[in-house]
Amino acid sequence: MAEGRAEILQGTLDLMVLKTLDSMGSLHGYGIARRIEQISEEALLINQGTIYASLVRLLQKRWISSAWGASENNRKAKFYSITKTGRRQLRTEAKNWERISGVVGRVLRIAEKG
Amino acid sequence: MFDGMKMMGSRMRGWFTMRRVDEEFQQELNEHLEMLAEEGVRRGLPREEARREARLRLGGTTQLRETNRELQGLPFLDTLLQDIRYGLRTLRKSAGFTSVAVLTLGLGIGANTAIFSVIHAVLLSPLPYDHPERIVLIWESNPSGGFNQFAVSPPNYADWHKEASSFEHMASVSRGNFNYTGGAEPEQLSGARVAAPFFAVMGVQPALGRTFVAEDDVVGKAQVVVLSHGLWMRRFGGDRNITGKALTLDGQTYAIIGVMPEGFQVPGRVEFWLPSEFMPRDLGPGARGAHYLRVMGRLKPGVSIEQAQAEMTGISKRLEQQYPRMQKGWTSLVISLNEATVGNIRATLLVLFGAVGFLLLIACANVANLLLARAATRQREMAIRTSLGAGRWRIARQLLTESVLLSTLGSALGLLLAEWGVHALRTLPPSNLPRAAGIQLDLTVLGFTAGLAIATGIVFGLAPALQNLRNAPAETLKEGGRTASAGRHGMRSSLVVLETTLALVLLIGSGLLLKSFLRLQSVDPGYRSKNLLTATVSLPESKYATDRQQAQFFDQLVERLQSLQGVEAVGAASSNALEGQGYNFVFATKELAALAPTEQPSAGFYSVSPDYFRTLGIPLLAGRTFTSQDTAGGPRVAIISQALAKQFFRDRNPIGQSVFIGNSGPEKGQIWREIVGVVQGMKQGAPESPIAPAVYMPYLQDETNHDMASMSLFVRSEVATLDLESSIRERIHALRPDQPVNVILSMQDLISHSLAPRRYSLSLLGIFAALALLLSAVGIFGVVSYITLERRREFGIRLALGATRSHVMAVVLRHGLLLTGAGISAGVAAALLITRVLAQSLFQISPLDATSFFLSFFLLVVISIVACIIPALRAAHLDPVHTLRSD
Repeated sequence: MAEGRAEILQGTLDLMVLKTLDSMGSLHGYGIARRIEQISEEALLINQGTIYASLVRLLQKRWISSAWGASENNRKAKFYSITKTGRRQLRTEAKNWERISGVVGRVLRIAEKG
Repeated sequence: MFDGMKMMGSRMRGWFTMRRVDEEFQQELNEHLEMLAEEGVRRGLPREEARREARLRLGGTTQLRETNRELQGLPFLDTLLQDIRYGLRTLRKSAGFTSVAVLTLGLGIGANTAIFSVIHAVLLSPLPYDHPERIVLIWESNPSGGFNQFAVSPPNYADWHKEASSFEHMASVSRGNFNYTGGAEPEQLSGARVAAPFFAVMGVQPALGRTFVAEDDVVGKAQVVVLSHGLWMRRFGGDRNITGKALTLDGQTYAIIGVMPEGFQVPGRVEFWLPSEFMPRDLGPGARGAHYLRVMGRLKPGVSIEQAQAEMTGISKRLEQQYPRMQKGWTSLVISLNEATVGNIRATLLVLFGAVGFLLLIACANVANLLLARAATRQREMAIRTSLGAGRWRIARQLLTESVLLSTLGSALGLLLAEWGVHALRTLPPSNLPRAAGIQLDLTVLGFTAGLAIATGIVFGLAPALQNLRNAPAETLKEGGRTASAGRHGMRSSLVVLETTLALVLLIGSGLLLKSFLRLQSVDPGYRSKNLLTATVSLPESKYATDRQQAQFFDQLVERLQSLQGVEAVGAASSNALEGQGYNFVFATKELAALAPTEQPSAGFYSVSPDYFRTLGIPLLAGRTFTSQDTAGGPRVAIISQALAKQFFRDRNPIGQSVFIGNSGPEKGQIWREIVGVVQGMKQGAPESPIAPAVYMPYLQDETNHDMASMSLFVRSEVATLDLESSIRERIHALRPDQPVNVILSMQDLISHSLAPRRYSLSLLGIFAALALLLSAVGIFGVVSYITLERRREFGIRLALGATRSHVMAVVLRHGLLLTGAGISAGVAAALLITRVLAQSLFQISPLDATSFFLSFFLLVVISIVACIIPALRAAHLDPVHTLRSD
């Protein structure tokens, strides 16, 4: 399946959500959004709701799973956690990402020099 | 791709649970908002301010929910509706394509469903009795004497009943007509005399009262009768307290003891059952040659027909040894009731099933063709939509929706046609189509055929479209839709070849049946059927006990009818040949008299009134016909048919020779007759039967013990006939007021009636062949039109370079005829193999009859030329300048 430009940006967000769940364990939507905001120093998420599209996509690919549970303040909240497939996928995607960003970086540096 | 499918699956589930998913998501968002707001409060914001900020940071929930719904597959339903709306609009826009496709599908589905419904009811569904597979008919059989399946004599039945152990029950059945005089008008009813175990054989319980017990069979006991549901409703208004009431038949009073359930009519259309009541002389040694019973049995559980047959063969062997004079050469034959009921019609129905299957294939091929053509013309549309950003699945779904819509419309039409067809097949069939009452629209079949149509639509509508999409849209657009995909061409052409092949086979098949039918219709029955009426009159034996009384009645009746205005001649005879009621008796000449009784030949027997030959228009070839002087007191005379004269007298002049005819051999004291004339003879039964050897005698001299109480009357009039009917009835009633008269028919109607089964299969096959021809013409037209459209640039260039219009036309025509030619060759080859299944239904022609083959071939060629002419003309009249510029 060919992927459009928008899909690449989506892919980036999906990758970040996946990584967050990988390192933090089970989290609810708010938790994930806050974590990404903190790491990216509030730069990446225009509004927190955008992560839900990511979560649905990841759920549909079975890379994460979800379950209802109680939050820190004893509220009912939906918790997401990464699955085995998700972890495997994360490793490949991360490798890809590093390779691509490496290549892109080199290209950009060459371009600057030239 | 695998991921894609997983996602589709997940989305589908989302679609089914969308409401719950949507609510859950709303809840999740609410929680999220709460957490954000709490965070704000923790940072020291006022509650209200914290909430406002939370909403801003999360983003608009409505929009989020919409996105979620879309991702979860919730818009599936929306887009489905959209697709349906769009699909209907597209179909409406191309009304020509739509109506042809829907009509084609409808015809294929409808015809198949209707025919299969008949087959299901008649051939496949079990007979409506308890364990019907255990019910058998047991016949006597004398293969060397030419009687494969013959009625059983009472003494033989009695011995079988006593000795056979394969059967749980065995019962004899014999039909008879009885005069019923209890109602407003005298009426003749069909009934059956059955042995007591008959109802146990059938495994059917009465709806009311009881059936016979063994004591009812004893002669001299109280006379009892069991009514059919039909007679009970018709004559007694469904009276629940009917048992014990009386029914008067032939002047005898019978006590009604029970009523059978609706639909129970064995054997054939009977209205009541009487106990068999065999008299001692019926069972005596002299009666062993009186074959008139039908015997039915119920096999014991676990006993096969073969085992029963083996036992019966053994019993017959013993009887043959015990009574060599009467039983020599006779054995017995056990066949299942099912085989007996539908054995004859099976071949016809299966031929029709095959034909209608062909029609469905042609219909599917045609629709496939139409869809392929349409996909080709829509290449540009699809390319544009793809380049404007429509997803592949979206377009596929759109096409799928269109195909399914088309098939649904076709199936709806098919349902209507099937409903109508089943009704027509149930009400129109020949009277001998068994189990016609049970024919119902079969929804399983409708589902199957509609499913097939939908599958065709999907495969041939979707596949090419998806293939299109694989091509880069830019390429398609650049080429301006000129891409001639060779593979698809091949596919469309082979579909047309297939259609033509199937259509030709159907055409040849109907051609063969038509030719047989025409031959049969023009067969000379031996008499002139025009302006000839016939009626059957049966006298009650209680009032007219002796042959003399009976003969006197008919003598008077003939005289009275003769005086009617417009009547040319009136004859009476012991049987109406066309109704197949012929009697065959032992026949002998002086030379044959010494033979054993079982070796003596038999001949058709008619006892007739003097004017019989003149009335029927049977030509006299030598000697004289009977006169009024040939009475009981006069010398015994006979007239023989030409066939008999040729067979037994060869070159000798038969006039003046002696013959014997009777129901047992010529023994001492039997009457020999002098042959006074030779007539041409006539067909006994339907037109396909041969002219059999026959002996005629004056009915006043009939001493054969043959029952004269029932006679057929023949009235020859000068002009058109049927208005005579009421005057004939009047004359009969003037002679005997409570005399029932069976239907008065014209002999032409009778002949036509005897051809009804053939007309039935012929007209159905003819209709299928005509439809097949029409559909193939549409197919050829479609392909040739499409090819012409594709090659219009080429034709434009050719015309611009000076090719003549007739040349271009020839090119197109040649292409069309090449396709037809391929189809015809395959069709002839297929027909050579297939038409032999018709052999049984053909009359005097070979299944490979050259005329039928050639005419079908010719018809198909003409039709294909007609189908090619329009596109050919269109190609020839292309404006070269316009064509070349338009791309």
